[in-house]
Amino acid sequence: MITMMGISHQFKIGKKGKERIVPVLHDIDLSVEKGEIVAIVGRSGSGKSTLLNLMSGYIRPTAGEIKVAGRMVTKLDEGAWADFRLAHYGFIFQNFQLISSMTAYENVELPLVLKGVGQSERRKRVEKMLENVDIAAFASHYPSELSGGQQQRVSVARSLVLEPPIVLADEPSGSLDSENEKSLLTMIKQLNHELGITFVIITHDDQVASVAHRTIRLQDGRLARQAPLVSVESIKETFDLAKGGHHS
Amino acid sequence: MKFGDQLRFVRQNMKRNKTRLFMTVLATAMGCAFLTVLASVGFGLQQSMVEEITGDRLVTEITIYGKNPDKFDTQGIQNGDIDYFQSLPNVKAVTYRNYIQQYMDPSIDGNPVNVNQRIGMDFEAEKQAGFGLSAGRLPEGNNEIVIGYHIREVMDEEGRPSSELPAASEWVGKTMTLQVSYYEDGELAKKPLETVIVGVAEQPTKEWNRDRNIYMGEEMLTQIEAITGTQLGELPYFEVAPTKEQVQKLIEQLPKPTGERQYQDVTVVAENASKVKGIAEKIREQGYFNHSIADELKQVNMLFTIMKIGLIFVGTIAVLIASIGIFNTMTMAVTERAQDIGIMKAIGAHPSVIRRVFLLESSLIGLFGAIIGTLVSYAISFAVNAGLPIMIEVLMEETLPADFKFSVIPPYLAALTCVIALGVALISGQRPARRATRIDVLSALRREV
Ligand SMILES: Nc1ncnc2c1ncn2[C@@H]1O[C@H](COP(=O)(O)OP(=O)(O)OP(=O)(O)O)[C@@H](O)[C@H]1O
Ligand SMILES: [Mg+2]
Repeated sequence: MITMMGISHQFKIGKKGKERIVPVLHDIDLSVEKGEIVAIVGRSGSGKSTLLNLMSGYIRPTAGEIKVAGRMVTKLDEGAWADFRLAHYGFIFQNFQLISSMTAYENVELPLVLKGVGQSERRKRVEKMLENVDIAAFASHYPSELSGGQQQRVSVARSLVLEPPIVLADEPSGSLDSENEKSLLTMIKQLNHELGITFVIITHDDQVASVAHRTIRLQDGRLARQAPLVSVESIKETFDLAKGGHHS
Repeated sequence: MKFGDQLRFVRQNMKRNKTRLFMTVLATAMGCAFLTVLASVGFGLQQSMVEEITGDRLVTEITIYGKNPDKFDTQGIQNGDIDYFQSLPNVKAVTYRNYIQQYMDPSIDGNPVNVNQRIGMDFEAEKQAGFGLSAGRLPEGNNEIVIGYHIREVMDEEGRPSSELPAASEWVGKTMTLQVSYYEDGELAKKPLETVIVGVAEQPTKEWNRDRNIYMGEEMLTQIEAITGTQLGELPYFEVAPTKEQVQKLIEQLPKPTGERQYQDVTVVAENASKVKGIAEKIREQGYFNHSIADELKQVNMLFTIMKIGLIFVGTIAVLIASIGIFNTMTMAVTERAQDIGIMKAIGAHPSVIRRVFLLESSLIGLFGAIIGTLVSYAISFAVNAGLPIMIEVLMEETLPADFKFSVIPPYLAALTCVIALGVALISGQRPARRATRIDVLSALRREV
């Protein structure tokens, strides 16, 4: 579903003329299969978000190629990337990224509006989606009138309302308490199971990693190891954690 | 994204800062009103001037005075000439007036009617040329006539028309008797001719123009001519009672009805004003003296066109100043919503959609401003036209012609203002809209914008 070949990325910082180059990712080869839940873990600053931003098209790799759903996306321009995102991706963010001037309903409706779906069809899908994430009672609430867990449900609903084949999530449970986190993970598992949606989830949290079919570890911008087995990986994860926690 | 949804977005955005929106629309409206009112003075003065010049004449009219005597054996306009005018391309009608040369003592129910001219004409052509009626219809059959609007007007001792004018339309359907004088065996005799009034001519546009004529068709004229045996019912004039031979001799000298008719007040009406020049030139080449108001108006119109362009130019500067407000408002709106725009881009909003939404917002501001400005302009224009003549009369003791207009807003001026305002709004929205599309997704997601 997602293939990265020889991806490197470096940031330029500082003023023009006195630029400094910050290399973040080095020659990453990675592939995510259809229907997989992949967790990306690693120390803070190891380049997890950068990797996901490359997949999302928010930034361009310095070198390498990215292929998503059979399409080379590396060279897409901004407009084409936007259309591609709308068609293939759902996004869940750590701090939800809901539009504060829109109600929960309108936030969930937004991708449908952008896609140009008609009124009645929109209502049907938004209502069903709000139902699914158990937030229908709060449809007319603004984000500021919702709890963190509720906001994350709205943002999950928004990410799924177009039924995208892939969902990218950067620390989706980072702002949630354990109870809300649990229900988010249940939801992810269920969606993956029922709809075959592919998930790429960045996390610091072994709870999250435990639902993943596979965990990818980043270490200083390189892939540390890749294991196909869920159980083994989560054990190793726990082991690593025990040895020297990398929570920031 | 559908247009309806874009509008909904814009509406939501606009609601966020109503005061700012109101102020911006107000500034735009003021600019538009300034532009429209300023230009309307050019239009108003032009219209008033042109109306003064034209009066009741049509701009499509070409008046024929006569023929070049070097080229033709007669100076009068005859049947052949009328046919020639009619045969020209782009000629709508050729009208003429034949003035009957005797008074005929018109009366209704035995009461004499005070008429001015007795005119024979071609109603078919007159209809084409726009001969208007205020009541009734044009004559169709024989013995039917149309009367002038002021025919029932009574004069006071000083020869001024009395203030009360009985409606001429009340006379429609009445019978008017004409006494046609003629000579029989050297004796003056009279033969009554019964006519039915079927219509009343339009009121002349100029207040001082009084229409007390009676208008009749070709057949009636022929009847009258048959009675008198002379063209246009003309009779010889004698100081003292003539002998039979004298009468005979003078009548012999007058043109016969069977002879070539000399047409008077011949007017060629073009299909539209733009055709006047071509037709006038052509018939001038053929040796006919002619004149059209279009000639007269050309220079006046040219002058006013230059004036109007100047006024619109100055007015547009006001709209341009207002556009600074639109630019400012849109820039602030983009800055305020940078975060939302970033989120929208992150989930897949196409930059062109974002651009369109902001351009839509700025053009709506322009449009609202233009609409409000135009409405206000109509009000100002109305007030100026109503108030200024009174002020001039009071302060300068000068009377303006009735219906003099300082300010006229033709629909296309209003439309032009809207187009200018819309264009200016679109241009001033351009940069803020482009800025919106350039908002960096990651900075927005990190709440750095
Ligand atoms: N826009 C940027 N400009 C310069 N350097 C950057 C930029 N974004 C990230 N970096 C650098 O790239 C490295 C990786 O950052 P990234 O955000 O990918 O880390 P991460 O693994 O997501 O960390 P965390 O777990 O804390 O979110 C960091 O050292 C950071 O300083
Ligand atoms: Mg990160």
